[in-house]
Amino acid sequence: MNTTYLRIELARVGRDLVSMFFIAVMPAFFFIIFGASMEYGAYPIGNGNVSMHTMISMAAFGAVVATTGVGGMAAVERMQGWGRQLGLTPMSDGAYVRVKTTVAFTISLIPIGLVYLIGAFTGASAPGWVWAASAAIVMLGAAVFSLYGLIVGLLFRSESAVGAASGALVILAFLGNIFFPLSGVMLTIAKFTPLYGIIGLARYPLTDGALVATEGVGGSDPLWVLLANSLTWTVIFAVGAVLLVRRGRGRQ
Amino acid sequence: MRTPPPADGAPAVQLDQVVKEFRSTTGPVRAVDGIDLTIGSGEIVAFLGPNGAGKTTALDMILGLTTPTSGTISVHGQAPRHAVAAGRVSAVLQTGGLLRDLTVAETVTLIASTYAEHAGIGSVIERAGLSELAGRKVSKCSGGEQQRLRFALALLPDPDLLILDEPTAGMDVTARRDFWETMRAEAASGRTIVFATHYLEEADSFAQRIVMVAGGRIVADGATEEIRTRATGRRVSVTFTPGTRAEALSRLETLDAVHAITPDGDRVHLRALDSDAVARAVLDLGGTDLLVTSGSLDDAFTTLTQGATR
Repeated sequence: MNTTYLRIELARVGRDLVSMFFIAVMPAFFFIIFGASMEYGAYPIGNGNVSMHTMISMAAFGAVVATTGVGGMAAVERMQGWGRQLGLTPMSDGAYVRVKTTVAFTISLIPIGLVYLIGAFTGASAPGWVWAASAAIVMLGAAVFSLYGLIVGLLFRSESAVGAASGALVILAFLGNIFFPLSGVMLTIAKFTPLYGIIGLARYPLTDGALVATEGVGGSDPLWVLLANSLTWTVIFAVGAVLLVRRGRGRQ
Repeated sequence: MRTPPPADGAPAVQLDQVVKEFRSTTGPVRAVDGIDLTIGSGEIVAFLGPNGAGKTTALDMILGLTTPTSGTISVHGQAPRHAVAAGRVSAVLQTGGLLRDLTVAETVTLIASTYAEHAGIGSVIERAGLSELAGRKVSKCSGGEQQRLRFALALLPDPDLLILDEPTAGMDVTARRDFWETMRAEAASGRTIVFATHYLEEADSFAQRIVMVAGGRIVADGATEEIRTRATGRRVSVTFTPGTRAEALSRLETLDAVHAITPDGDRVHLRALDSDAVARAVLDLGGTDLLVTSGSLDDAFTTLTQGATR
């Protein structure tokens, strides 16, 4: 691993205050108003409480915003000529992907760490293994969204498109049952959207699949539904990214 | 200052029947249409040609950024990608290719980290004249300063062959002069330098050899002196009355001073080195509305291309 490259990349993201606001400040703020400060936060759910449930949701939201941004900017910077500049060096495409993947994982740790820290001080409660397992699933699930960012970047080739892709995550997050418990037809539709499986899996150690609804517990998702959703969207993003990378190689 | 390239005997660049086609909606387009070229170690060569002549595509292939549709390319006897990985060839590419949110020093550090060995971050920053700007964000650098940064990056592997694609595009006159001044120092240390340009003056003042490219082919290749004579010249335009026109044209065709004749409605455009002699002849033949202009480089290319395909 080229650690000098990694260090400078991390400094770049850290200096980008607008991104940092969406990656770190917004999920932490959402958690405080939707989770930590709510009296229903202490209600028990599965192996823990509702505050824990909200905490995992907001950390996942921050993490996918982070990885989408990293993936999208990688695509845009390569097409704006940085790929040609790197093509003049011994650095391989594989080494570049390794650096960017490490950056995505590292940056996704910021919202996870921050939201979990606030959770720990404001009453989120669950056994230790639930904390660890949910954080690990959020990280892995969010990594898939760096491919989503990559696809948007490759398709539209502009920084503003990547910004729009991050913005669209708010809609996907609603459909992913992250901000507000859905029910009825909306819930059925939601089960086919890309954030639904990942967030369901991240909450699984806590809830064993039980769904929160506005009037208490509202049904549950079997594990296979969540896995099928996550795997399908991972394959869609991966195939899309490979096809677009091939197309882009012709001439830049 | 630098070690001379290993005496492996192979030329710096060798292109053999190289063709590059791109797919487009209207069918394949041949950007490079069969180029044979050998550039020896230590030569300073200009690729001169109008926009779209295939210069960038040819240089991209030498750098291993794209592969030829057919034909072979070697750089110091190696495949282009290997020569790049070994740090034997490096380049200053056309616009783009920098991360705007990094500083100058960070950019150099970043690219230096990709090489196992490099010429030294401080050293290349100084040689490219960037010491004052090391802490500045790339986005705050002028076009000329960004170009100097690309040049610093190209110096990192201490390459035997340095390729410059339109290196002074977007620079003002002073920046352009400073850039070539720096480049002279690098050439003096024995590097092979190949640069693409569409400024005749640049090729003229810096290159020892000019390779003229048009329509994906080499239309002229020779010492700078020789090419200059062929590429310069003037354009003489004149109107003939319908009565005198036919006879005048046939007379002009016999004149040695006239290099090319292009009828255009009532008017006739002539290309000539000795424009005074041609002007005199044209007036004697009853021509009116005489106009003598210095030929543009595009005109020169047209002439040379026609000459090459005739």
